[in-house]
Amino acid sequence: MLPSYYEFHNPVKVVSGKKALENIPYELEQLGVKRPIVVTDKGVVEAGLLKIVLGAFDSSGLTMGALFDETPPDSDVAICNKIAALYRENECDCIIAVGGGSPIDTAKGAGIVLAENAEDLMLYMGAERLTKPIPPLIVVPTTSGTGSEVTYAAVIADRKKGIKMAFTSYLMLPRVAVLDPRMTLTLPAKITAATGMDALTHACEAYYCLQKNPISDAHAMGAIKLISENLLTAVKDPKNEQARMAMANAALLAGAAFSNSMCGMVHSLGHAAGGVCHVPHGLAMSIFLPFGMEYNIDKTGDVIGELLLPLGGADEYAKTPAAQRPYRAVELIRKLRQDLYDACGLPQTLKDAGVPREKLDEIAQAAINDGAHAFNPEEMDLGDATRMLQAAYE
Amino acid sequence: MNSQYPPVPSGKKWFKELVAKITLVVLGRGLAAAANRDPDIRREVSKWPNGFSLMMNIKPGGPRMTVEKVGGRLKYRGAKPDDATLIINFKNVDAAFMQFTAQIGTTRAFAEHRYTVAGDLGYAMSFVRCMDVLMGHLFPGPVNKHLLKRLPPMPLKKQLIRLYIYTIGIPLGR
Repeated sequence: MLPSYYEFHNPVKVVSGKKALENIPYELEQLGVKRPIVVTDKGVVEAGLLKIVLGAFDSSGLTMGALFDETPPDSDVAICNKIAALYRENECDCIIAVGGGSPIDTAKGAGIVLAENAEDLMLYMGAERLTKPIPPLIVVPTTSGTGSEVTYAAVIADRKKGIKMAFTSYLMLPRVAVLDPRMTLTLPAKITAATGMDALTHACEAYYCLQKNPISDAHAMGAIKLISENLLTAVKDPKNEQARMAMANAALLAGAAFSNSMCGMVHSLGHAAGGVCHVPHGLAMSIFLPFGMEYNIDKTGDVIGELLLPLGGADEYAKTPAAQRPYRAVELIRKLRQDLYDACGLPQTLKDAGVPREKLDEIAQAAINDGAHAFNPEEMDLGDATRMLQAAYE
Repeated sequence: MNSQYPPVPSGKKWFKELVAKITLVVLGRGLAAAANRDPDIRREVSKWPNGFSLMMNIKPGGPRMTVEKVGGRLKYRGAKPDDATLIINFKNVDAAFMQFTAQIGTTRAFAEHRYTVAGDLGYAMSFVRCMDVLMGHLFPGPVNKHLLKRLPPMPLKKQLIRLYIYTIGIPLGR
């Protein structure tokens, strides 16, 4: 059913496939810029990925204005300021982020400092605080999960104050997302599994939560089909370029879907578990997703039932009675989790993820203050969140 | 100026603006009164720091209203303040009118991008919870059934708070 009103916004150009990196100089020319600062982290350098990216500039005649490879996990305000200073000092005119969520979000944070000439990034924390667009940002993701290459959000830590800050603004969207098969071939199995489950959660929640619309639905369905057909292959056969590219595209599709239709309580619980107990985001998504889907079946079971088609295929969908489809969809996600556990040991419970039981109340409180569950079809209060956490504990 | 093709000024939605202006006063005074009486809203407001202010604004140039937490209590500040810690910006008067006349609830209005939030999203969530409780007081059950995900229970104590909001809180601004 069509919503009475919706909005969809995704102006990011997608460059995907063999030798996609080699097209970056052309994309820079199209954007009217020519002196990028490259933002990445040590992991990307050690995996040899940066060398591949820099190699793509050979014979382009371009010069990298600066190279910053010291991005810490979870990003950092001080680092954003440092990158902005480097950008100005070396007269750069655009940013290329190479990495997972942290370098991408750091690049967005540095972009805010540059756009607003900000002394204190904190002033721009929250939603819609920016007044000017960030410099052109080209993103080369090296994981397949966050979808940050097409989202208008960034999460940046302030280590001095011990907090994580969320920033959202359409003015922060990247201009180009570059998906190249060489960028994810070396991703370890467990991270492939966790980030893949993150993308699956983006797509599922985008499909059944309140802000769903026909365009985000199409993106979400496409993402779920690619993930259900390729995630396990990418985990078991890491050098399989086809599976890797399918996952990279799935993460992007899911990112575009949830960036527009938002996500729900699974993300609230995941953000809270990450904030309180440092559970990696993808792992938290994997743990909570089946519980979140089950929780919403009373309110929106028919919509969740539709997910059986991309999750189980046409035959499975056709042979399952309509009333059973949402439950079967949840079963298939639980089966995928079990398969991932068997393949790489991805934990399935909070206990196995190292969460102490006495922290559950604190996580529940943080979860209901998280913005994501505003768009969840079913209400979730403190008691509901606590019960959900207990169910997911062991 | 070309007299054959003269400029076309936009009209004015007097009625909707008037309804929005009145409703903002009702919401501001109602929220301030409820925050000092209703335990659910009081719990939310207790987590806001002193000096925290919340504005509901209708773009492009108002009307608007602001409430501010002072000395642990929520006070209605009217339309004068032009900035706040958390700002709910309705994109146009029609968006506000739809919500103010109970055609759509706070959550659905958010989901449909009828308003944007400028500020910390954690506080925005707290505000949405406050608004849901306030709606429970301002509108009868059958209306709220369409506005809220879950109908709040209305025991006698809550009914008395509703009475207070309608008879003292909104008319006298206390």
